[in-house]
Amino acid sequence: MFQHQLNSPHGPSVTELRPGERGFVAGLGIESQDLVTISEKMARGILGADPIAKAEGKPVVVLEPINNDTRFPIDKDIFLMLIRDKLLEHAASKITFVAREHMDKLEKERDLKLSGQVTGGEKITGNKFKGADFILTGTFKGISGRGNSGASDYVLYSFQLIDPDTSEIVWGGNHQIKKQGKDDVTYR
Amino acid sequence: MAAGHRQIAKAPAHDKNRWRLITAVHALKLGRHSEARALLTTAMPSAGQILQANAHTRLAQSTFSPENVKGFHGESHERAMGWFYHGMFYWMDGEPDNARACFRTAQLMDALAAQPEHRADWVLLDYLDGYITTKLSRDGSDARTRAQANAGDTALPPYNTKANVMIFLQFGFGPMKKTGGDVGEKIVYNGGRSQARSASITVGGRPVIAPIFDNLTFQASTRGDRAMDAILAKKATIKKAGDLVGDIGVTGGAILASQPETEGAGVALLSAGLVGKIVGGSAEPRADTRTWTNLPQHLSFAALQLPTGTHTAVIEFLDANGIALPDRQKNVSVTVQTGRDTVVFVAD
Repeated sequence: MFQHQLNSPHGPSVTELRPGERGFVAGLGIESQDLVTISEKMARGILGADPIAKAEGKPVVVLEPINNDTRFPIDKDIFLMLIRDKLLEHAASKITFVAREHMDKLEKERDLKLSGQVTGGEKITGNKFKGADFILTGTFKGISGRGNSGASDYVLYSFQLIDPDTSEIVWGGNHQIKKQGKDDVTYR
Repeated sequence: MAAGHRQIAKAPAHDKNRWRLITAVHALKLGRHSEARALLTTAMPSAGQILQANAHTRLAQSTFSPENVKGFHGESHERAMGWFYHGMFYWMDGEPDNARACFRTAQLMDALAAQPEHRADWVLLDYLDGYITTKLSRDGSDARTRAQANAGDTALPPYNTKANVMIFLQFGFGPMKKTGGDVGEKIVYNGGRSQARSASITVGGRPVIAPIFDNLTFQASTRGDRAMDAILAKKATIKKAGDLVGDIGVTGGAILASQPETEGAGVALLSAGLVGKIVGGSAEPRADTRTWTNLPQHLSFAALQLPTGTHTAVIEFLDANGIALPDRQKNVSVTVQTGRDTVVFVAD
């Protein structure tokens, strides 16, 4: 196990872990090791999907927030960001992502260029913002239980690549994780 | 707020979270939502965290230490309320599915109730789960059915998927813990109280009645025995046995020791009695009665559909006869934006 001790004799005890490692405060929720495992698996799946692998040119993909149907509040962007970054890192020549989440800033910059307040406006002819060939999104669903014998949480992480022109799901991938645990007797 | 922060600083480590929770509700009532949320986040474990054993929990189980030396995480109704407030904040942030996640976790906190009919029976949590699910164009009928089943005679308002103003209301003073049992080994709840039994919300001359969804004293007192109660019961048995042996030994031993012919036996019995007294006197079966003291007695909710812009909502708290309580009226400014729900919190 990779561990880097950052302990000082006078400060708090801190152990640095790789994000894919299970920490010692592991719980039933969605944790960094789940994020790493799932995003790597989904990135591989997307790259192997026919609409991407056999596409002519570089298909444009837009990220849409995940629908969280579990009992765990999550940062809904983090999974898709990590999948996107892994794809860009390993397959930037096969796929294009557009930064829709920054649309306001992009529009502002374009308007500045077009108005001549900054340089570069002469290069803009017509609308250059790209439309999506595919939308990447997902749904997380969970089944949770809690009793005297402990608590358990099953979470299904499901991702889809959708053709926005036809609403067809052209690729789907999922990952399932079930965790069980039990609070200390003093808290039960 | 300043007093709350002073209490947090002053409190021992195992009790800081309780003061954070109390101060969070103060902040919430003052409209200081980001501060309230930060305090809640610091005070509460994450949704999936397992509360693990540590030196304090081991001490809490020791015969010679009371339960309240463990870190404070509250009882099930208090944990549920923490997640309920968290859910409200997520909804305020425009993340209704994360809000729903919090309401589900809140409901799960109540799943350990001793009697099956009292497990996960908070009405508002299921009602909101179903409401959000319905607003997200999915089927929320299961959660709504559960909510209505637990609501008894209260007819829950229908879901209006076009509603864009969510008003969370709370009334009264919630339950307080006190020690019960022969030697303080049980938690019993002093009933909370509230004059208000419903609320009337009027915007633009149109009143809407918000009924009571949940009663926190009911939720707290239907929890039933905890696993920890079995440990406290053993401690109580040791204490009572020690005290009994002590009383018999000291009294009987003193009598026997006063007679020359039974002096030896008397001294032995007296010694055993003193040991019993020491054990009984040292045993600490007291249950943890630390309380999140500013929780309400009742939870209520109403959803309104209002046009974009700023509106004034007049909120009156009504007694059991539907009469507005004097001096309790609140005028709340509600700013409605397009594309997201506006979430408002009001306490009486």
